[in-house]
Amino acid sequence: MTIEFDIPDDRYYDATHHMWAQPQEGTDRVRVGIDALGLQSLGDLAYISLRAVGDAVQRGEAIGTLEAAKMTGDLTAPVSGVLAARNEAALRDPMLVNDDPYGAGWMVAIQPRDWETESGKLVSGDRLPDWVAGEIERYRSQGWVE
Amino acid sequence: MRLITDDGVAASFGLAADETLAQRVGLGASPPTLRLYTYRSHCALVGRFQNVENEIHMDYCRAHGVDVNRRPTGGGAIIMGAEQLGVALTLPGREGTSYCHARELMEHFSGGLLRGLKRLGVAARFRRKNDIEVQGCKLVGLGIFRASSGGLLFHASVLVDLDVPLMLHVIKTPFEKITDKEIESAAARTSTVRREVGREISMDDVRAIVADGYAQAFNAELSAAEFSVAERREAQVLERSKYRSDAWVFRRTEVADASGTAKVKTPAGLLDVRVTLAGRMLKAVYIGGDFFTAENAVAELEERLRWHPRHSERVAATVEDCYRRQPDLGGIPMHALCAALHKAIRRAKNAETRARSDPYACFVNPEAAIA
Repeated sequence: MTIEFDIPDDRYYDATHHMWAQPQEGTDRVRVGIDALGLQSLGDLAYISLRAVGDAVQRGEAIGTLEAAKMTGDLTAPVSGVLAARNEAALRDPMLVNDDPYGAGWMVAIQPRDWETESGKLVSGDRLPDWVAGEIERYRSQGWVE
Repeated sequence: MRLITDDGVAASFGLAADETLAQRVGLGASPPTLRLYTYRSHCALVGRFQNVENEIHMDYCRAHGVDVNRRPTGGGAIIMGAEQLGVALTLPGREGTSYCHARELMEHFSGGLLRGLKRLGVAARFRRKNDIEVQGCKLVGLGIFRASSGGLLFHASVLVDLDVPLMLHVIKTPFEKITDKEIESAAARTSTVRREVGREISMDDVRAIVADGYAQAFNAELSAAEFSVAERREAQVLERSKYRSDAWVFRRTEVADASGTAKVKTPAGLLDVRVTLAGRMLKAVYIGGDFFTAENAVAELEERLRWHPRHSERVAATVEDCYRRQPDLGGIPMHALCAALHKAIRRAKNAETRARSDPYACFVNPEAAIA
């Protein structure tokens, strides 16, 4: 069986940590979540913890922690700014993230400090297909997916 | 690779040192390190997201001087002391391995342990998800933490020996009381290095063999070392700010625990199923009763259902798969088991709903399960 990965092209991706960021129309915030390839590597999520609203976060820094099976790991901020909201529903029911990673399973909203500069460090638009193909090939070559 | 060994370590320092090394190794500030150590007897360590009051008999721990702390790695509560070898392997993980499956990482990092156990004549194998088992009995618990620096911490607790009655007094279990039968049942689900090798092997001998196993598995030379001054200082700071703080040790997760039980009469005997849910995941499953089936086959089935989605169809699929692989389960009618699991899960869900509707109620623990 070949697994297909849904990587929507309407947002920006952190190539290292498989986190996505999407500006929210009409606001000064970006929503942040984990992408399908990141989830594939982790499996069903059991628990999530997130930093407090109002915390200043740096790109590459931990904004929370998650546990899937027995692996725990930090969730990493794709952009710097101030943590403006947390998805309380996902905190109570982490499998929401597995069910709908790009919708109801978002993790936090960040008020970015310098979206223009930092979004350039994320993968989006024309660069997306090559990056996705490369990542899927990497997963396959390692035997993580078929 | 560097090898650090120490004994009689306080829980707070042991955990702080492991997290410090994971963070530093990801930043390139510390070399890859294998730490083989024992804790001061005894301490109870809960998993990263567990609620202490749901997992640990705190009154017993306070009365008997059992230290309680929280690991950075996930999984269930364990007891550690002079007879359990702690393994902490810290490696940089940003390239290549940082986003592979937890299972593959676990298997990769378990390689040294498996080689060492094989040299002792113990036919251990990596069990699905996160344990090393021997003939269905858990021998080593495993966990992985990925720090924000990209550093990986692989944690293992090797049961060189185990005081089962003490474990049952410290860690909450689905058992209603601790009797000889319960002790026997818990003992049948775990094993120890000493039981497997059939002699009083010392902790130092086990440690040396595990170290050799890692040297071979990673094709690396191990050089004995101590923490650097900077590492020790950072670990002490983290110990004070985090691992000695009640805010860390007694923090609560927002995912509610809920338990349910079901007793079903079958032609093979009474089936007693107890489950604990963490949200939509099955956190723990106990299958008991007076049927005749190999305990290790039951233990393997319980393990497969741990940290498993609670959804009925997925539970049934896993049970069916276990029956295909484990003919020894034939003593329990499969459909009766699926029905009992379904009933226990439904009761746990109801308990969770009731707890949510009462904002002042405590979430139930396994002992408070409804029959």
